[in-house]
Amino acid sequence: MSTAPRVLDVTTLPSTDNVDPYTFCVELNGQWFLQKGKMIAYYGQIDFSGVGHGHLDGLVAGSFHSPLHAADWVVAQGSGKMLLADRAFDVNSYDLEDGNLTVRSGNLLAFEPSLSLKQSIVPGFLTLIGTGKFVAASNGAVHFVEPPVRVDPQALVGWADCPSPCHHYDHGYLKGVLGGIRALTGIGGASGEEHQFEFVGAGTVLIQSSETLMAEQATGAVPHEAGVPGGGQGGQRGGQQTPQLPGQLGGLQRRFGL
Amino acid sequence: MPFREINAKMVEAHVQPGQRLFSQRGAMIAYKGDVRFTPNMQGGQGGLTSMIGRRVANEATPLMTVEGQGTVMFGHGGHHVEVIELDGDTLCVEADRLLAFDGTLEQGTLFLGSDGGVMGMVRGQVTGQGLFTTTLKGRGAVAVMAHGGIIQLPVTPDRPVHVDPQAYVAHHGDVRNKLSTALGWRDMVGRGSGEGFQLELSGNGAVFVQASEEKL
Repeated sequence: MSTAPRVLDVTTLPSTDNVDPYTFCVELNGQWFLQKGKMIAYYGQIDFSGVGHGHLDGLVAGSFHSPLHAADWVVAQGSGKMLLADRAFDVNSYDLEDGNLTVRSGNLLAFEPSLSLKQSIVPGFLTLIGTGKFVAASNGAVHFVEPPVRVDPQALVGWADCPSPCHHYDHGYLKGVLGGIRALTGIGGASGEEHQFEFVGAGTVLIQSSETLMAEQATGAVPHEAGVPGGGQGGQRGGQQTPQLPGQLGGLQRRFGL
Repeated sequence: MPFREINAKMVEAHVQPGQRLFSQRGAMIAYKGDVRFTPNMQGGQGGLTSMIGRRVANEATPLMTVEGQGTVMFGHGGHHVEVIELDGDTLCVEADRLLAFDGTLEQGTLFLGSDGGVMGMVRGQVTGQGLFTTTLKGRGAVAVMAHGGIIQLPVTPDRPVHVDPQAYVAHHGDVRNKLSTALGWRDMVGRGSGEGFQLELSGNGAVFVQASEEKL
């Protein structure tokens, strides 16, 4: 049990490792991408410049492929030691070796430019591809599980090596006589666990120790294009997307603004 | 032992056919295998009378039954989780601190007024327990939540333990508790130490204390 707080200076700070469970120290010698507002202190000569300004174009073109997300990120450039933290959430670094990992956009703090950042097809998630280190936060320590597994949507941090994520709905408790009564009257309530994300296939799933979500960062919009998840809806409304129910006026209803 | 602590804030439970668990609704984080979650109308065990008892006692935290075969991970609100093993004795704990517990444990409610009369009721108010508390009895494990880590303090007949009522989590064994007041004129004029009430636990058993004075 230590009595006095540890005093750290530029030589005793760990190099690219955790200082404590909530703080991460990056030994900077070149460039790192980090999310705005996650740097808490630094030693040395470090410039922070917004993504997409002049001289960083080349870097951004090489490893930052989420143009509409750029406003949330800065590039730290120079040499020194930089401390990262996020609202006292647990912080961890992850090494990717020619791999891929998809993470909730709000959880990602920083990454090396040798990785490239892309928007995932799954809205609200970002995918990192390549070789390098990145830093992510989570509410409680991260636990790794192998598929097949079903995860509470709020507890999901991310997944690596591409297991297939899909939705799973469980209404098994609505079956049978008692279940029927429950479904009809609502007496007995819901279990609160009807919906999970299901992962199958090879890979690793990252979950945090709590279902309290970290505030999500906007990942930017996706182009309005047919076939783009979350993108195609805005432009072409109408269509015969919803099945017509008898008794509805359908087109007429819309025409008269009812 | 059905519960395994994965880290300070998460536990893993193995569910086997014919064996069931109760857990707080919505506290499942992930699961493997074929596991069913059924909302539990009665808020635990016993029949209709127990349910009404719990409603009246305001100890009816929404619970769900977990059955099937597989592994389930539980965690809730980023609170610290502690697994308490019961070996035939009784654990007194607030219902909303229960994350999950063995289906073999016998659940009941305890009227605090019956344990110390009027002072028991005052104690309930001060600790935020209300007039009732939940008891779990039997052999099995309970996962209890707390704000900050939990420490266990043994209570022996010659060594009573004084606890801040707000930091009190649970106790088990043959423990009597009484509220000791150290109120003086300073408290009356608002210049007290802020520690005017203490929970004094005596007997034979253990008390669990959280490292925070914040309620869940």
